[in-house]
Amino acid sequence: MTDLLPTLAEPQHFFAWERFLFATLAVLSILGFWRRFGPILGNILQSKKDPGFHLFPIGRRVRDFVWEVLLQGKVIRERPLAGVAHALVFWAFCAFALVTLNHCAIMFGLSFLDPSGHVGQLFFGFAALFAVACAVGVFGLFVRRFFVRPKWLGEVSWGSGLVALLIFVLMITYLAAFFLHGDGTASRALWWAHTITLLAFLPLIPHTKHLHLVLSPFTVFLSRDGFADIPPLADDDDFGLVVGKDLTQLVSLQAYSCVECGRCMEHCPANNTGKLLNPKEIVLGLRGYLNEFGPHSEEPLLGKYNAQEAAFECTTCGACEFQCPVGIEHVPIIVGLRRGAVNTGAWEDDYGAKLFVALERGSNALGISPAERDKFVEKNALPLFDGTQEYCLWLGCMGAYDPRGREIVLALVKIFAYLKVSFGVMRKERCTGDPVRRLGNDLLFQQLAEANLEALKQNRVKKIVSICPHCVRTIQEDWKAYGTPPEVEHHSEFLARFARQLPPIQNQEKIVFHDPCYLGRYRGVYEEPRSVAALAGELVEAPRSHERSFCCGAGGGLVFLGEERGERVSHVRAAELAATGASVVGTACPFCNTMFRDAFAEKGNGAPELMDIAQLAARGLPE
Amino acid sequence: MKIVVAIKQVPERDAQVRIAPNGKWIDEADLQWAMNEPDAYALEEALQLKEKNGGEIIVLSAGPERVGSNLREALAKGADRAIAVICDDLNARDALGVARLLASAIKPENPDLVLTGLQSEDVGLGQTGVIVAELLGLPHATMILHVEKTDAGLTVKRELEEGWFQSIELPTPAVLTMQSGGNKLRYATLMGIKKAKTKELRTASATELGADGVSTVVLEQISAPKKQKSTQILPGTAKEAAAALVEKLKTEARVL
Repeated sequence: MTDLLPTLAEPQHFFAWERFLFATLAVLSILGFWRRFGPILGNILQSKKDPGFHLFPIGRRVRDFVWEVLLQGKVIRERPLAGVAHALVFWAFCAFALVTLNHCAIMFGLSFLDPSGHVGQLFFGFAALFAVACAVGVFGLFVRRFFVRPKWLGEVSWGSGLVALLIFVLMITYLAAFFLHGDGTASRALWWAHTITLLAFLPLIPHTKHLHLVLSPFTVFLSRDGFADIPPLADDDDFGLVVGKDLTQLVSLQAYSCVECGRCMEHCPANNTGKLLNPKEIVLGLRGYLNEFGPHSEEPLLGKYNAQEAAFECTTCGACEFQCPVGIEHVPIIVGLRRGAVNTGAWEDDYGAKLFVALERGSNALGISPAERDKFVEKNALPLFDGTQEYCLWLGCMGAYDPRGREIVLALVKIFAYLKVSFGVMRKERCTGDPVRRLGNDLLFQQLAEANLEALKQNRVKKIVSICPHCVRTIQEDWKAYGTPPEVEHHSEFLARFARQLPPIQNQEKIVFHDPCYLGRYRGVYEEPRSVAALAGELVEAPRSHERSFCCGAGGGLVFLGEERGERVSHVRAAELAATGASVVGTACPFCNTMFRDAFAEKGNGAPELMDIAQLAARGLPE
Repeated sequence: MKIVVAIKQVPERDAQVRIAPNGKWIDEADLQWAMNEPDAYALEEALQLKEKNGGEIIVLSAGPERVGSNLREALAKGADRAIAVICDDLNARDALGVARLLASAIKPENPDLVLTGLQSEDVGLGQTGVIVAELLGLPHATMILHVEKTDAGLTVKRELEEGWFQSIELPTPAVLTMQSGGNKLRYATLMGIKKAKTKELRTASATELGADGVSTVVLEQISAPKKQKSTQILPGTAKEAAAALVEKLKTEARVL
C-alpha cells in the first residue's frame, strides 16, 4: 500500500561548505533567539516567588494542559473558526517536531527516518496531511488578520504577517519535496529553502507575540487553582502590586505569554463601554514595564505603563480571565494593582474612602444604621438563628437594607415556609467584605472576615444560604484566608433542588435570565437558576449568556463608586436584555437587580419586569 | 507645629446598647468600640495641618486598656505617637474629672495646638474640650470646621446656626473643638497599620498624672428614650392636604 504514497525527496550528500554554512546559520539563529529570550527568562525567574503557590495536586494541572494546550479545547470552543485554524497550525507544529529534527540530521548523515521505508513513508505522509491543514489554517488566519481585521486584534502587525509567511513557506517547501525525486539540485535547493526559513523563524519567536509558542504551555500548566483567585500577601512588607519587585513569577510569566488575541477586550464590559481599561493593555503594560525597568525596580507599576484609573474601572466580572487561551489570570493582576494602591493609601477616591470609612465604623456597605436591619427582621418576624435550625439565611447588605433586596429575601422566606425548611437569620451581620476585597483593601477585608467567622462559629452555623452570589463567593473562597467558613450555597442551588415541590404557576411569561458573573463564571452555576426561572414561563437567551454573560456593571466594588466614563455598563446590558422581547428579566443577584432597576427606570414604560428567581418561584404559592 | 489630638473611645455606631443592671451605665459586655466621630474629624484636621506645615501629632485617649486599639488606628492613619491614660473609672468622672486627666497629660507636651471633637457620641456633654482649655490657660474656640495656620497664629472657620459661618483669628497655643463633616475622613491602610506597630504608645495612670479626682457631678441613672411616634394622616384632596401640611410645618414644626 505504501507504494502508492508519494515519497519525500531528500538530498543525500552535502558538501563540507554546506555543513559549515548550516552550522554557522544555526548558531546565529540560536544566538538571535537567546539574545532576546535570555533576558525575558531572566525577568521571569528573578521575579519574586508566588506566595501560596503549590504544584500539587497536579491532576488539575495535567487536565488543563491536555484540554487547553494539547487538544486546544478552549481556543476552539470560544472562537470556533479561528480556533480550528489555530489548532491545525498547532497540531502541525507538533507533528513537525520529528520531521524538523530529521531534516537537520540529514546534513550530518544522522537521519533516523528513511523516507522510502514503511515507517518513514507513513510518518512523512501523516505530517504532509498536517502540512496541508496548517497551510490552509495559517492562510485563513492571515486573511482574518489582514483583511477581516476584528478590532480586538489591534493595529496591523507586520511581525505576524512575516511569521505567517514563514510558516506558509515551511509547509510549501515540505510538501513540494513529495513531487521531486532523489538527490537532485532541485531537492537540494528545496532543502535549503526549508532550512533557511526555519532558521529565520527561530529568532523571530521571542521578538513577537509568537513567544507564546514557548511560554504558554507553562503558563497554562502553572496557573493558579480556582477562578479569579486572589493570592495571599507574602509577608509584612507585601502590600500587593506596588512596584516592580512585587511582581511574582506567575505574573511575569503571564505578562510575557500574552498572544494579543484580544479575547479579553472583546468580552470586557469596561472596554466595550468606552472606558480606559483594556485588560490586554494591562498585561502588555506589565510586559513593557518588565522590559524597561525589570523585576527589581522601585518604579511604581501604576505610572508609565498602566493607569490607576484603568485598574479601578474593572468590575472583576472575569470575562477576560475566562476567555484567555494562554492562562493569564487578569483578575488577580488587576486586584493586585488595586491592593498596591489601596494598601499604601495611594488611591484617593471620595466614594471609595466613604465606603471604607463606613465599613470601618459600621456593619454594612450601604452605610445605613443597623437598626434598620433589626426593624426589618422584627417586622417580618424572621426567626433568629440559634443553632437548632438547618439553614442560616445570610441576608447580606442588599437583603437587609435595600428595598428590592428585601423583597427577594421575603419571597425566599415564603418558599422556606411552604417547604417547611427550618432557618434563622443572624442577630447581627457584617458585610462579607466582597467590595473591599475586590477594591484591594486587605486590612478591612481581614477585619470583616474575622468578625463574621467568629460570629458564625459562636452561633454554630453549619449551612448558609444567601441570595447574593458575591456573599456566597466571598464566604466560600475568600474567607478561607482567615478560617474555615461554613458550607454555603446560593438560593438558586437551593431552589433548584426543591423546584418540583413548588406549586405550578398559572401566568406563564417569556423570561430572559441574566447570568450574574459571580454565579456563572465564578461558581459555574448556569442551569440551576434557569430551572427555577422556567417554573414561571418560557426561557429565551440573551445574545451573550452563560459563561459569556455581560456584566451588569456592579461588581468589584464599582456599584459604590462614582459615575462611569463612557456608557454605563448597566444600560448596555439592560438594553440587550430588553431587546430579546422577554416580558420578564430574571435575575439571581441583588446587585444586578439594582443596576437594571435604575437602567429600566430611565427607559420608562415598556421596560420588562425585573424579578429575582425567588420571586418568580414564589408566584405559585398561596397568598 | 506640634498638635495633640484628644480622642474618646465610644461604642461602635452599630452597637445594640443595653442598660446595665445598676441603671447607672450601659452594659459593656459584647460591645465593639470605635473612635468618637468628631474626634476622628479632629484627627483628620491635624493630619492635614501636618501635611501642609509639617510637625508632630500626638494622639491621646483616656479610659481602660482597650483605648489602645483606637490609638493604634490613629497611628495607622498618620499620627506620630500616642499616650493612653489608663483609668477604669472614666464613666464615673464628670467632664471636669476627664478634662483634668487630659490636661495633665497634655501640659508636659507643650503643644502649639490641641484638637478634640466638639462632643462625644455617648454622653454628648460638649464640655471636655472647653474645660481642658481652661485648665491649660489657653484660648479656645468651639464647633470648628477648618483650621488654617497663619504667621500670627490660626484662622478658623466656625459653624453657626442656619448655615452661617464665622471666621476667627486666634493666637497659638490654643484649644479647638472640632465639628464633624469639615473634611473627608481617610481610610486606614494595611501599610499604615504595619508602620504603626513601631510607633511609640506610652501609657500613664491617673495617679501618675496627679489627676485622681472626686466628681462634683454624679450620674444618677440612665434610661432609654421613650419611643414616640406621632404620625398624622392629613385628610382631603391633595391640594387641601398640601395646604394643611404647609400650615403645620409653619406653626407646629416651625421649619418654614
